[in-house]
Amino acid sequence: MAGSLIGAVRRWPGRGDEPRPGPAVVRLLLRVAAVLARRALLLAVLLAFVFAAVELLPGDAATATSERGESTADLAERRHLLHLDRPVPERFREWMTGLPTGDLGTSAHGEAVADLLARPFPNTLLLGGLALLVTLVASVALGCWAAAEPGGKVDRAVSASATGVLALPEFVVAVALMLVFALWTDWLPAVTLTEADGSPASWKMLVLPVLALAIPQIGWNVRIVRAALADESTAPHIETAVLDGLPRHRIFTHHLLPGALPTIAAGIATSTGMLLGGAVVVETIFNYPGIGSVLAGAVTDRDSPLVAGVVAVTGAVITGVLLLADLVRAWASGGRT
Amino acid sequence: MNWNRRQVLWAGGGMGAAALLAACGGGDETSSKSPAKASEKPRPGGTLRVGALGRASAITRDPHGTQANESDYLIISLVYDTLTVPGARPNTLPRLAASWKASDDLRTWRFTLAKGAKFHDGTPVTAEDVVWSLKRLRDTPSGASRLPGIKPANIKAEGDDTVVLVSDYANAELPLLTRLTTFVLKKDTKDSDLGKAPGTGPFELDWFRAGNARLVRNKDWYGGDPLLDAIEIKIFESPQAMANALLAGQIDVASNVGAVAARTAEKRRDVQIVRRPDDMAMPIVMRTAEGPFADARVREALRLAVDREAMVKQVLSGYGTVANDILGTGDPAYAKDIPQRRRDLAKAKSLLKEADFDLSKTYRLLTTEDIAGLAEAATLFASQVREAGVKVEVVKQESATFWGKTWLKGDLYTTYWGTNDSVVFFASKTMVSDSGQNEAGWRNKEFDAAYEKAMATKDAAERAELLHEIQQFEYDESGYLLWGMADGIDLAAASVRDLPTLPGYGRVQLETAWLAR
Repeated sequence: MAGSLIGAVRRWPGRGDEPRPGPAVVRLLLRVAAVLARRALLLAVLLAFVFAAVELLPGDAATATSERGESTADLAERRHLLHLDRPVPERFREWMTGLPTGDLGTSAHGEAVADLLARPFPNTLLLGGLALLVTLVASVALGCWAAAEPGGKVDRAVSASATGVLALPEFVVAVALMLVFALWTDWLPAVTLTEADGSPASWKMLVLPVLALAIPQIGWNVRIVRAALADESTAPHIETAVLDGLPRHRIFTHHLLPGALPTIAAGIATSTGMLLGGAVVVETIFNYPGIGSVLAGAVTDRDSPLVAGVVAVTGAVITGVLLLADLVRAWASGGRT
Repeated sequence: MNWNRRQVLWAGGGMGAAALLAACGGGDETSSKSPAKASEKPRPGGTLRVGALGRASAITRDPHGTQANESDYLIISLVYDTLTVPGARPNTLPRLAASWKASDDLRTWRFTLAKGAKFHDGTPVTAEDVVWSLKRLRDTPSGASRLPGIKPANIKAEGDDTVVLVSDYANAELPLLTRLTTFVLKKDTKDSDLGKAPGTGPFELDWFRAGNARLVRNKDWYGGDPLLDAIEIKIFESPQAMANALLAGQIDVASNVGAVAARTAEKRRDVQIVRRPDDMAMPIVMRTAEGPFADARVREALRLAVDREAMVKQVLSGYGTVANDILGTGDPAYAKDIPQRRRDLAKAKSLLKEADFDLSKTYRLLTTEDIAGLAEAATLFASQVREAGVKVEVVKQESATFWGKTWLKGDLYTTYWGTNDSVVFFASKTMVSDSGQNEAGWRNKEFDAAYEKAMATKDAAERAELLHEIQQFEYDESGYLLWGMADGIDLAAASVRDLPTLPGYGRVQLETAWLAR
């Protein structure tokens, strides 16, 4: 899908010598729309898969929310209340028809799914967004620093520690950070508590969760940035620029970095999914009121509407970020070749 | 109220570590610090920040709904009142119902409402409100098990302050059933208004957001003046995070946080460990109806093969007490005089031989990791009975599989119960022949007769004798091997006083708590 976009913007207006900008823009928009439609379809398939998968798990939402001592008749009533006595395709269709209006159904415990996600989802976006930003800034900075002198001390140190942390699971990082910065030194809060409006009570509460999420991703992305820059530096136009005697920083910012950008964007985009995945663990450890814990609990309760609700909103965000990355790549690579 | 199995999922998850710790350290000294010093005078004021377990996905605001979250239940039970509440002795105390009286046949019960009880908006509570609420509760899928034997039509008002419940059968302990779930709302409260429906409880809802809430003192509470200005309830998904929040001073109480946290906190002088005995039973169920354990001598042998002290020490990190195979250990009527079973491998072996028990076979003990310590208990049990020559293999099942396929059906499996202050509760729910949750498939006509007679006996002393008889039956023949009782464990900051020490849901009674700061 990324390839098709690149095709569309190979002659991006303003870059290169495109004589007829009008049709190209239209064509781009059409391609974007096509990609979006395909992604939306993919998301729908994914949601159908979620319903099917929850159905395949042993037990159902009625048994998961029942109390001991409920008779078979009580359970049947509970099933009926939760619409579980209807076939999965019908429940899925019903749920999907509510989706465009923002109605995400009702949880197994009788609360509106949209209400259950109303606070946690923005909280996770904040956490994930900050972690992504930190990842981007730190990995580009460190990667460039390392690439500035290939094989030098800095390069070796950065590359080695990047390899070290990218292998660390989030929960190890999270527990270590909490031990050192909260329980031993008391510099930062151990867990996140919320205000009356449902958001974290203090910005300090975000520091540790963001770091716990970002550190493994920084490790991953530093290596990508470093490798992309190394690849790019052997490109003929860079050699030409060097031979032309352009200043180093200018080569870096105007030639090297733009060339490496598509790879970097792809790496960061991949991290989006990883960040949201890691959020499940990190949110639990820091008691961060996000969507990760909602998802984990919803799966335990076989709560299809809630699981699907989480997948729908996160899927939409990941689709958006991937699309953005595609556009960046298309824009960056469109200028050359 | 029965414990929903989801309700205890967090009760100290990862207790495997604790079992390990205990096994390695071998230390079993556990300091039980008194929550209050006798010389201190209770002081009003302050805000108590309480952490309670819950999952954001399972939040419910309905007082009659499926409260899987301890945090939701805590909020609900501080805002709304039940007719009666758990106590130590007796185990049923008045709340919204100031008193109750039974007819001679013990089927018709009259509850008189507390004088001056009113909702947070100022309107007085009437019998109509109570009847409406009880009927609403009865009409939920859990209604039949929460109010057993009481048909909706048999819930009636008599005048303004009396509610009449008529049971299908004689039930000497009916008020016990109204302790935990009979929350009273205003008549005709709409489902859409549940989030802000006024209650009659010691605290009023200030705000609720995503499982967290702030409650403020109800100055007009008929039950007396609560001391705290406010209670803030924070929802925690994991006991570890909750313990960390307490250790870091972000909350004042970590409710039901478990033994692992207690062990961590033992070294901290600024943290109180509140132990609530008889909180959780984790018996091993041996099927009596058929199968290899149907012979009472085999069951007796296994009861003699288990090393109860070691189980308590290792599985519960010492936070518990040895038990005697009788369920309902917190009941004032619990038969303390029945001799404590001790380990006797020689006798166990001879009983197995007498019963011609096949020692060449390996028997499967099915368990789950639903609550902390359950699977560890199974593993330790297996290694202990090996010394009596019985080979047991522990099989861990995923929760839903266990409850769907093993529970009520298996030959040998672990179970757990969180309401342990009533002998009658277990007899009626799990041991009478036709009880819906007869976990061991136990059928004993004499036991049934003794139980029914006890339930139809009005005289307290006479009933106590019958209850003793029931317990002797359980001790001798039932399908339960109850090796010990786990304490409920809360952690509290040094300044917190008078926290409840009742087991199970008694822990929510925070209206008497106060802060010495």
